Amino acid sequence: MLKKTLVWLVLFLPLVVGTSVFAGTTLTFQSYSNPNEQVAQFIQKVLVPEFNKKYPDVEVNYVYIPFAEYMSTILQQAVSNTLPDLVYLDNPWVPQLIEADIFQNIKEQVMQDLGNDFWMDFFSGHRLLTSTDEGIYALQIHTNNLAIFYRENMLQKVGVDQPPRTWAEFAEVCKKIKENLGIYGIIFYAGADEAGTWQFEPFLWSNGGSLLELDQKEAIEALEFVTGLVKEGYAPRDVVNLKDQGDETIWFMNAQVAMMVNGNWEFGWHLLPDVLEKMGDVKVAPFPVPDAGMRSAVLPFGGECTGITTADAEKVKYSWELIRIWFKEKLDEYYANWTGHIPTLASYSTKIAAMKPEFEVFIKQAEFALPRPPMGGMGKYPDVSTELALALQKALTGSQSPEEAFQGAARNIKALFPGQEYEETKNFVRQTLMEVLERAKEK
Amino acid sequence: MKISRTSLLFFLIPSLVLVIFFGIYPIVYNVFLSFKDVNLISYIRGTARSVGIANYSDILVNATFWKALTNTAVFTLVSIFLQMVVGFLLALLFDREFPLKGLFQALVMIPWVMPIMVSGSFFRWFLSDNGFLNNFLTALGWIKEPVMWITTERMAIYSLTTVNVWLGIPFNFILLYTGMQQIPGELYESAAIDGAKGWQRVLYITLPVLKPVIITTFVLGCILTFKVFDLVWIVTKGGPGGASHLLSTFSYSLAFDRFQFGKSTAVLVLMQIIVIVFIGFSNRMKWEER
Repeated sequence: MLKKTLVWLVLFLPLVVGTSVFAGTTLTFQSYSNPNEQVAQFIQKVLVPEFNKKYPDVEVNYVYIPFAEYMSTILQQAVSNTLPDLVYLDNPWVPQLIEADIFQNIKEQVMQDLGNDFWMDFFSGHRLLTSTDEGIYALQIHTNNLAIFYRENMLQKVGVDQPPRTWAEFAEVCKKIKENLGIYGIIFYAGADEAGTWQFEPFLWSNGGSLLELDQKEAIEALEFVTGLVKEGYAPRDVVNLKDQGDETIWFMNAQVAMMVNGNWEFGWHLLPDVLEKMGDVKVAPFPVPDAGMRSAVLPFGGECTGITTADAEKVKYSWELIRIWFKEKLDEYYANWTGHIPTLASYSTKIAAMKPEFEVFIKQAEFALPRPPMGGMGKYPDVSTELALALQKALTGSQSPEEAFQGAARNIKALFPGQEYEETKNFVRQTLMEVLERAKEK
Repeated sequence: MKISRTSLLFFLIPSLVLVIFFGIYPIVYNVFLSFKDVNLISYIRGTARSVGIANYSDILVNATFWKALTNTAVFTLVSIFLQMVVGFLLALLFDREFPLKGLFQALVMIPWVMPIMVSGSFFRWFLSDNGFLNNFLTALGWIKEPVMWITTERMAIYSLTTVNVWLGIPFNFILLYTGMQQIPGELYESAAIDGAKGWQRVLYITLPVLKPVIITTFVLGCILTFKVFDLVWIVTKGGPGGASHLLSTFSYSLAFDRFQFGKSTAVLVLMQIIVIVFIGFSNRMKWEER
């Protein structure tokens, strides 16, 4: 009998002890940043240790879900009530997830711990995206936008000392590169997905075109320009089948193209210091504009947000503490050392621009960057974006003329909005676009 | 020993649980969703409205759906036909002894053992305008301009079908080859004594005896090819311009590019109906065969 009891004790003791040792709270921080990437490293090596100084009994579990599965995972978690406590996610998803009630309202915490001045320091697009009239549901950690990466030596070889500033100059430089160096002038991404739309939006918006009025002259002109780049052989037709935007950098690094449309994150991804040193001549120029009188192109902004997805009061407290530490105590360190992205707050932008000259172009452009979902009908944006990306591919492959492709897309987009909603959304988008365009044209 | 009916039912429970939860439940739930206006927000909030057959009527007037349906038919039938022909010829070849037979047999199996992510990524590069195939043909002087294998709406689906033929040959080969191994050698010996030539032996012995295996290979091949998703998604994502969508990729795109889960499940239900009709038809063929 004693022997039996001993066996049971030996079997169960570790379980009992184990449970009591790990009885503290566990917080789950879910992200699509690969554990070896900078953001994930920052969370694990800086943020969590700092948090644990105050709350040593709270374990923070970093969970990585690949980007391709991220949204479907969140969806499954939301319907099965198994959401993590804190999420890191792409900004265009935020408005829909706010509407789906998955985030906690953190307005009170933001105002109390960070203050209204801090909140107002966020560029307006980031505030528009992460808040509603009722509250604040997420904070945008960092942002990014698109510019032209170019190989200075290649441009100099064809007699170009300054990177192109306007569309006309851009096409001219591409032509010189094609004729003299026998390679493509430019590569951009035109896959049938959101990234395809994202890379076309700077052309569209800078020319005064709207996602909700693709059949208008300004939008068609933008598509004609981009289509022309492929038609003239300045860009490869393979742009429609690239795996992702990182694929462009492979072409760029292999000297198959002299310029590429890409974002500042590349400095933290493929174009790391050792690669840049080896290439020796990589420079960044602002996104080209259709009109020489413009100060900057009007572009979409990218970047990630973080929000609290647990309803448990204690976990909300701990989750907010992590966010607070990130934004209140560690933001300087994060922007300076741990990211290839740029700040979402005006005051930090100036500091980082001085510290990291390679980001200067992107930081200047951030002032003219727009959030994507509000510019495409908020909840309808994924549909609008897909319609545009498909039309772009039809025009690029020559199966339809730019005019036909955008007229078809415009019809489909209009059909997505019931009744008066289309007119209202169209007017809002037009007004927002015009405001930024006016600023971009101011001397 | 006689086992009671209750005990038999008890032993059936694990399989029944699996079939109910992982087979029947998802199908029924899909059908249920296909009659609702499910998008990202309504799905999470549980507020999706019933819309009757609206998802189906929307899908049936969608030009991309018909394109995807046609593509799926072309992709499946052409793939299966060519895979079976090549698989059968290879099985005939390997049904005799020759030097290094084992090595060649292993080489034939390569497409099957290679992860689809690897072969898909390879073919995206291989078939691109600046890829290996075009460079090779240009170097030979056979073409002056790159052929747009996967960058035009007209060509993309045929290029993908060709890749799928390559991927599916080992499956057809192995089933047909195994079937051929079961044919008694005496049949061929008798035929040889009667003076049957090589092609006559194939036509009058191999093919008739192998018929049940051929039908099974055809049915399995059709079902597996009908639901191909990964190859197309990796190489073209259904593009350019939605021209190479199969029903599977079209449904996925509706769900995860546009978050239109109701319409996406309607496409899946239509796919299920097609498969059920096909299986019913093939079962009848097998029944008549018996």
